[in-house]
Amino acid sequence: MSHPEIAPPSENKNPETLFTEIVIVGCGNPLFSDDGFGKAVFEELENLTLPDNVKVIDGGLGGPHFIFTLLDPEVTKKLVIIDIADYGAKPGQVTKLKPEDLPPGAYRDAHSWDLAEPLQRIKDQIDVTIIGCQPARVTAPEFELGLSDEVQRAIPKTIRVILETIGVDYGTTINLQEEGRQPGTAKSSGSPKNG
Amino acid sequence: MSKVVEISPTTRHEGHSKLVLKVNDAGIIETGNWCSITPVRGVEKLAVGKTPEQVPKIASRVCGICPIAHTLAATESMEASIKCEIPKDALMLRHILQMANRLHSIALHDILILPDLYLPGTETKINPFTAEEPVRTVAKRIQRLREIGQTIGQIAGGDCIHPRNTRIGGMYRNCSENAKTKMHDLAKEALPLAKAQMDLMIAILRNYQARESVDVGGMKVAMPKTLGYHNQGYLATHPFYGSSSMEEHPTWDIERFKEVRPWDWYMGEMDITLEEPRYPIGGTTKLGTKCNPQMEACTGIPLYDGQPVEVGPRSRLVKYRHYDEKGTVGQNVAREMEYVDSLYEMLDKIDALNTNGKVVADHIPDGDGSLGWASNEAPRGTDVHIARVKDWKVQYFSMLVPTTWNFATCSAALTGAPWQLAEVIMRGYDPCVSCATHMIVLDEDNKVVAQKLIQ
Repeated sequence: MSHPEIAPPSENKNPETLFTEIVIVGCGNPLFSDDGFGKAVFEELENLTLPDNVKVIDGGLGGPHFIFTLLDPEVTKKLVIIDIADYGAKPGQVTKLKPEDLPPGAYRDAHSWDLAEPLQRIKDQIDVTIIGCQPARVTAPEFELGLSDEVQRAIPKTIRVILETIGVDYGTTINLQEEGRQPGTAKSSGSPKNG
Repeated sequence: MSKVVEISPTTRHEGHSKLVLKVNDAGIIETGNWCSITPVRGVEKLAVGKTPEQVPKIASRVCGICPIAHTLAATESMEASIKCEIPKDALMLRHILQMANRLHSIALHDILILPDLYLPGTETKINPFTAEEPVRTVAKRIQRLREIGQTIGQIAGGDCIHPRNTRIGGMYRNCSENAKTKMHDLAKEALPLAKAQMDLMIAILRNYQARESVDVGGMKVAMPKTLGYHNQGYLATHPFYGSSSMEEHPTWDIERFKEVRPWDWYMGEMDITLEEPRYPIGGTTKLGTKCNPQMEACTGIPLYDGQPVEVGPRSRLVKYRHYDEKGTVGQNVAREMEYVDSLYEMLDKIDALNTNGKVVADHIPDGDGSLGWASNEAPRGTDVHIARVKDWKVQYFSMLVPTTWNFATCSAALTGAPWQLAEVIMRGYDPCVSCATHMIVLDEDNKVVAQKLIQ
């Protein structure tokens, strides 16, 4: 029997390069409902054609261990983190934060010997931006799959904020080949769909 | 008279755990309990009714540092249940991914334990993030080894954290000849770095072992010659990769495994009667605080042949290399010895990879409800996943992860050590507590009696 749900995932466009000049990391755990926001945004970014100096990573829960403590400031100049952030806003509202704005422990790396924030360690050498979305519900420690409607609707706007942050025009990111469209028929500028 | 001291939370590892230590007048541990305080999350329940393709993706999200091990173990437990043989080149890619993960993990663990250790010939503890030599050069070498591990893993697995290339029945894509060459070049670059790093770490560990005393938060603590010794057994299923119920001679036996209640193994409610504000970081738990390891522990106690066992690098070396050094230093030395082994194994598998070979099985059965299991020799030990798949739906799934095995064994290894060195002993197990937190408790008849959060 064939199993139609086993569709090949999108291909890592540059698997031989670990990090690039601009690194975008979707953080969080999709097993805890809206905590899957970072991964959902990662999947949307995978559908766009981004410049070669941009790498998008599904960081999951491993951002501190696998990325933030491993970035080389000689290679990476800008880090954009996508995550949920509880800042008292309405669910689905999106904000831009800097490491200084984070409450203690937000990205604490349990592997760090003094419990310091790894982002505090790199922020003077790498331009770090956190794009946070106010969650409606985070179900930890209980597992629940799927984003709330409010957070789901925040994804297009988040994509726009990310592209603004890294200085990329949305019109140049549309993947014509994958969408089956001909050059010249897509929007050349403006906001993402539903944005 | 015995006193009770608590270190909570423990540091320099993934997840939340604590140490509750009953000590004598000299501060020597009489009974030690190391337990997870991360709530149970019930991945096993979530898996029921999902497809075999979905469950490994779910399993890979239970913790921050073991997604590769969980992806591979979960995928292969599904394949074991449906009895799906994967092509040789898919297996080569998985082996390469496995060794890349181990390489990164050993290097990361070096960073975690270095602050406990001394620069040989000095009274200076090592800060791996200092800009001063000679540590700066060592730190750069560790970072390069981590980069190489992550890059090779990304090529073989599609991603360096959550590998997107694995699937039921094999791998989605083989890699190109250029990518194979890149992996080979990176592994060759890593070999001398890993050898130098292994030699240095073993020298630093031997220096630590030979000391008469060490400093912990300004306290001079006598160094016992039997630090971290225990008399439990060792469990390993393969020197590098793992085993499964599909093999003719599997190296793990589900009939010899049982998981029991933590309250049979841990101490009950007590008051904290020893407080030490100098203990890093921020002192121990305050006097008069209540603690109750029996009820706070968030894991069951897995037994193999009726006893807790140690899993991890030393167990692999004991079983497959006749290694026999006990204690915390012996455990850390074993991990260092896996540096070079993992790279030679990786190079063998890269050489064996045919980039034109197929990587997906011709036939992927739906499953008839048979029980299948697969073990993965994760960096920190044997990770066993058990599954039952019928008509392409998961009927049963369970994760038996490395640190769960090690909680009770490490607790036994604390006995006889100065309490201030309890975290040093614990770090020897390279704990990953987040993914260790589940609770499936069996009674004498192997029936499930508890699968819940106990708090």
